[in-house]
Amino acid sequence: MERRAFIKTSCSLCVALSAGLAISTFSSCAPSLIFNAIISENKIAVPLSLFAKSELKIVRVKNYDYDIAVRKEPGEKFLALLMRCTHADNQLTNTGNGFSCSLHGSVFEKDGTVKKGPAEKPLKKFFTEKIADQLIIHLS
Amino acid sequence: MKKLFIAFILVCSACSSFAQSSTNSDDSSQKNLSKILSKTSIGGYGNALYQRDFNSKKSTINLERFVLFVGHNFNNKISLITEIEIEDAKVAGGEAEGEIAIEQAYLKFNFNPNNYLVAGLYLPRIGILNENHLPTNFYGNERNRVETFILPTTWRELGIGFYGALNNFPLSYSAGIVNGLNSAAFEHGSGIREGRFEGRDATANNLAVTGSLQLNKNNFKAQVSGYYGGSVGLAPNQADSLKLTSGILGTPVIIGEADVQYAAKGFSATILATTISIPDASDINRAYANNTPENEFGGYAEVAYNIFQSMNKKWQQELSLFVRYEMLNMNSSIPSNGIIDETLNQQHLVAGLNYFPIRNVVVKADVRLMHTGEENPDLIINPNPAAPPYQQQNTILNVGIGFSF
Repeated sequence: MERRAFIKTSCSLCVALSAGLAISTFSSCAPSLIFNAIISENKIAVPLSLFAKSELKIVRVKNYDYDIAVRKEPGEKFLALLMRCTHADNQLTNTGNGFSCSLHGSVFEKDGTVKKGPAEKPLKKFFTEKIADQLIIHLS
Repeated sequence: MKKLFIAFILVCSACSSFAQSSTNSDDSSQKNLSKILSKTSIGGYGNALYQRDFNSKKSTINLERFVLFVGHNFNNKISLITEIEIEDAKVAGGEAEGEIAIEQAYLKFNFNPNNYLVAGLYLPRIGILNENHLPTNFYGNERNRVETFILPTTWRELGIGFYGALNNFPLSYSAGIVNGLNSAAFEHGSGIREGRFEGRDATANNLAVTGSLQLNKNNFKAQVSGYYGGSVGLAPNQADSLKLTSGILGTPVIIGEADVQYAAKGFSATILATTISIPDASDINRAYANNTPENEFGGYAEVAYNIFQSMNKKWQQELSLFVRYEMLNMNSSIPSNGIIDETLNQQHLVAGLNYFPIRNVVVKADVRLMHTGEENPDLIINPNPAAPPYQQQNTILNVGIGFSF
């Protein structure tokens, strides 16, 4: 009975986790903070219209394991930050008023500066420019 | 069986993302992005403290721990995370103090920016300090007693863990399967702490499942977590001879935890509660006579304020004053073959300061007022007539330093 209980519990966990994975990857069905993008010639294009109602978008780059947080700032400027902890390269969680790392507890402000260590360096910023109705993020 | 098949297919399709598949993307751009990652990173933390026990009138000073992290990125998808810890500065043969231990050593497999899997010796997400235990990240020189003796931080075991987050809602989740505890090693006075294997020769007849949900929303962070695991790793015939229930989840230990943290404008508040249930404690006591309780609980509430908050942010200096109230009972209920020990029913009031001259260096000073229940004379074998009477109240002064990098 113990073996059955364990298999049942573990399988339920597997199903839940797989569902979670599926839900988090199939983002097109829901109104989304996430914008899926591909890289072309070291650049990513994000429609400016995405920021009409929301100051923050998370750009998910195909085949890359870190998101890019793009925030609209006062004066029609944009800030693009790599959501990678500068301490040990872990993925960051968007908290709404900054970013946090679960590996060792580092916290970053919205502008990418370090709020709490052990990280010491701010988040990597990408150069951005507006061309027509697109925001271009330069990755090089 | 159908659920198992569906789960297997879904997990396999997720695992296929590890392969470097060809895409329509610009390959040179991928290489440029890969260069942003450092191949190998080194970090660490440590702390030392002076402690004065006013009851015993004894002072000690100790390099409590020094930990080195080494991380390595094999590629965009797979990395290695390790931590090695030395406690009490040195390990000399035959001496009780001092420990060298691997605190973490696991491979991390990234499915995508939201989801990853770990395999190896890792710290499951239970409580606050188990993941977030750097001395620069908590108030006071000592880790709180609830997350030392109820939740046995730092608690690392061997297994696999899955971590994920939703796309459009700030909810993170984790689940894991690790080796179970060893109830034969439970010790009276330290809860389940001595039952951890910590990566060495763990029994794997008994396993445990862990899970957590964590909400990160603006200034709030809230979490619930749980653990359900077997604590008898003996072969069935050995367990039968001791009248213990063996098997994957035999003689279970069940843990529940919840916490809320708030931080804004220099002010922070934390509250945590946890409970442990060991339904077959009487069987464990009959087999091992280690006075295992049926239930333990603990909780704490803490507030802090950075009085340098309004000063120039570029200073990085912080002077936080804090106060924390902790309550724990390591034998809130005991089986019929147990002996109650009211000294394990404790309250602690800790107040002090953390001063950061720069972000990752801290000077700490705090006072801990401790109150316990009365000593049970039935637990004293061959009492020493010269021993001073047990004192239910005590005051501990701690002054120390901590760092992380």
